[in-house]
Amino acid sequence: MRRRRLWSLLALAVALALPLLAPHAEYLLDVAFLVLLYGAMATGWNVLGGFAGQVSFGHAAFLGIGAYTAAILVAQGWPIWATALPAGALAALYSLIIGWPTFRLRGPYFSIATIGIGEATRLVALNWTSLTGGASGLTLSAAPSPATQYYAALALCCGAVGAAAWIQSSRFGYALAAIRSDTDAAETLGVDTTLAKTQALAISAFILGVAGCVYAMHYLFISPDSVFGFSTSIALVVMPIVGGLGTVLGPLLGAAVFTVLREQLEANFQNLDLLVFGVLLCAIVLFEPAGLLGIFNGLRQRWRKHS
Amino acid sequence: MAQTLLSARGLSRRFGGLIAVRDVDLDVREGEILGLIGPNGAGKSTLFKLIAGILRPSAGSVTFAGRSIAGGRTSAICRAGIASTHQIVRPFRNLSVLDNVLIGAFFGRRPRPPHEAARRFALETLERCGLLERADSPSRTLTLAGLKRLEIARALATEPKLLLLDEVLAGLNPTETDATLELVRGINAGGTTIVMVEHNLRAVRGLCSRLVVLVEGRLLLEGSPDAVLADPRVVEAYLGAAHA
Amino acid sequence: MDLLTTLVSALLVAGLYATMSYGLALIYGVLKIINLANAGLLMLGAYVTWWLWSAWHLDPLLAPLIVVPLFFAFGVVLEITLVRRVIDREPIVSLLLLFGLWLILQNVSYLIWTGDTRSIDTKFVDATLDIGGMRLAWPRVYVFGAGALTLWALTAFLSKTHAGRAIRAVAQDRDAAKLVGIDVGRVNAMAFGLGVALTGFGGSLLSLLFSFNPDFGRALSLKSFCIVVLGGLDSFAGVAFGALALALAEGFGLRYMPAALQNLISFVVLVVVLIVFPKGIAGLIRSIRRA
Repeated sequence: MRRRRLWSLLALAVALALPLLAPHAEYLLDVAFLVLLYGAMATGWNVLGGFAGQVSFGHAAFLGIGAYTAAILVAQGWPIWATALPAGALAALYSLIIGWPTFRLRGPYFSIATIGIGEATRLVALNWTSLTGGASGLTLSAAPSPATQYYAALALCCGAVGAAAWIQSSRFGYALAAIRSDTDAAETLGVDTTLAKTQALAISAFILGVAGCVYAMHYLFISPDSVFGFSTSIALVVMPIVGGLGTVLGPLLGAAVFTVLREQLEANFQNLDLLVFGVLLCAIVLFEPAGLLGIFNGLRQRWRKHS
Repeated sequence: MAQTLLSARGLSRRFGGLIAVRDVDLDVREGEILGLIGPNGAGKSTLFKLIAGILRPSAGSVTFAGRSIAGGRTSAICRAGIASTHQIVRPFRNLSVLDNVLIGAFFGRRPRPPHEAARRFALETLERCGLLERADSPSRTLTLAGLKRLEIARALATEPKLLLLDEVLAGLNPTETDATLELVRGINAGGTTIVMVEHNLRAVRGLCSRLVVLVEGRLLLEGSPDAVLADPRVVEAYLGAAHA
Repeated sequence: MDLLTTLVSALLVAGLYATMSYGLALIYGVLKIINLANAGLLMLGAYVTWWLWSAWHLDPLLAPLIVVPLFFAFGVVLEITLVRRVIDREPIVSLLLLFGLWLILQNVSYLIWTGDTRSIDTKFVDATLDIGGMRLAWPRVYVFGAGALTLWALTAFLSKTHAGRAIRAVAQDRDAAKLVGIDVGRVNAMAFGLGVALTGFGGSLLSLLFSFNPDFGRALSLKSFCIVVLGGLDSFAGVAFGALALALAEGFGLRYMPAALQNLISFVVLVVVLIVFPKGIAGLIRSIRRA
């Protein structure tokens, strides 16, 4: 336990110092930013999908709400850092609204409904031109420095991972694990499953909403297809599963792999990254449900046995 | 005369055209071990699920400790003091034995105990049920007998006033059956009222103070085990008219 | 658009929706899994038809002769190599596997055919039928007819052939079917192959009506889910009914809302139906009849 805490502190120290250690490696900082942002997003998804076992194919909806909230408020004159909380809060509020009908559905039906929710949200954003600017999207006038963006992403990621770690060892985490395993049995033992699922969704949505703010801060341009798009929802599903569903570090690992793969492959072949992820997803589901983290842990155990 | 803990009146449940439970009146007295018997398909499990709040009744009422509970939320009914086991065991397979019981200890008791107290209580419950050495094993490594005891332990961890046991002896060999019977007796001695659905009539005769017979969804009769088991109608229900 | 045209148009669209959904219903009915790769298979059916037309000058109306057996074989291979391994695990596992498959199909298509929008342009595609004062696009009428024929052929196959009855047996009760000696593995492979073939056929028909790119099929698949749930996940007549209901809802919605929001109708209907009628409207009708 002590050793893990030491590693975490070391990682945090390196992360904090990165912009200072490599002042001219802008590319490295950019990649690090993306890993942290996607890591946070994947961690947020994992709270609902991994801990509670409710797989959502429409989580981009919350990212989009966060991003648009940030963009609209910035256009009203808000400083960008102040939009983080409203972005998260609005996303969480939206999750309460859609959670109420969809949580009456079980398993695969819930997942299918989330596809619909994600798509419907995108369509509303596309057509509500007065609010969102429609297909032409919104541009942000703020332009924080790469170092600021990096620290924002770092703060977000630490917050998300911290929340995930806290949940996993808390009583709430036990409830989610029970729900993931057998919702009805959990209910007979006194777990208010609807309440617990709703709370998990709200936390998940909040994290994604704040991530939307950080996203907007970086790309400075958002459109319905970029933030509400199905490909974003796909990434949110694929990263935690490939990395290690239901663990704290798995989503980070998945996000790192995703970012690196995307950077490497997009240069040459567009869509090859999603293809690779499709293959990885199938492989993980078929052979190693614990994901890359599971493979890594298995190798580490085998190495320990031999040494 | 013992107090009535649970009272069901006119309880019915239909699934489409099938009436599984038909107009059942049932009283459960505090402190007793009540046996619920009847041939397969008589509606015993359905009746359990109606009482435990897993199913909503189509008609009728259930009063528990003075409050009406029919149609209430399952988790609320559990916290009010009714716990049940499942006929086909449903452990949380991704959790350890201890964690399974912890769920009950954390969420089924009122008021909510602090983390450490719940953990201690869970360990004590495991010890009562003979599962303490397996506390950290994954629940899927248990044998059927172990899983059945885990079902009981989990339900017990919610500190129920009324425990519903659905065929806890099914699939057990004689040694395991005797151990489970001892456990049930011990739970009852500790103050928990028990209603058990059972096919093992010999066990039921020895354990239960009172029997209730359900046939085709209807309550046929009730009484002491000796009287009920000798009644020709009951024999006919189980074995057919030729044997009555 | 007057009322009659709206109705006829909805009817034609219903035929299309139904044809797209039979494969999904069959796979769910027999294997009890939801084929999330449905969109990818529709898309692939359209692309294969297009490719046969653009590279080999094969009339798209004849393409099903190749698409159907090809997709059947593909489906059987998929079932034996992939689906079979996850069929006994929790439903979410097969959902994720087929989702991964969809990703693969979609992105392989991007690689092979790029993201450019494709469409088929033949005389038939542009032809119209003037009847009773209405002008109907010939391809829509053709697709409706093909769908009706498919429904008839499917129903006949399932009720009159040995293989069809085996499929129905497994769909009703897998263990009982095993007990009477039915090779469930073979039935599963056949059913999945048939389901994939039906979906591919649907995609082939769709290529006559729409232009498409690899992302094609997602909105349509959502409608298929909606239809299959509306109609009850285990009956083809139910699918036809669900398709009609949705097409009517959309057709009438079009009179009052902008076309862009038309797809919203199916999503809203989907969520509402899943909540209020978990067994679909066919199930609701069945339970009313029994009581």
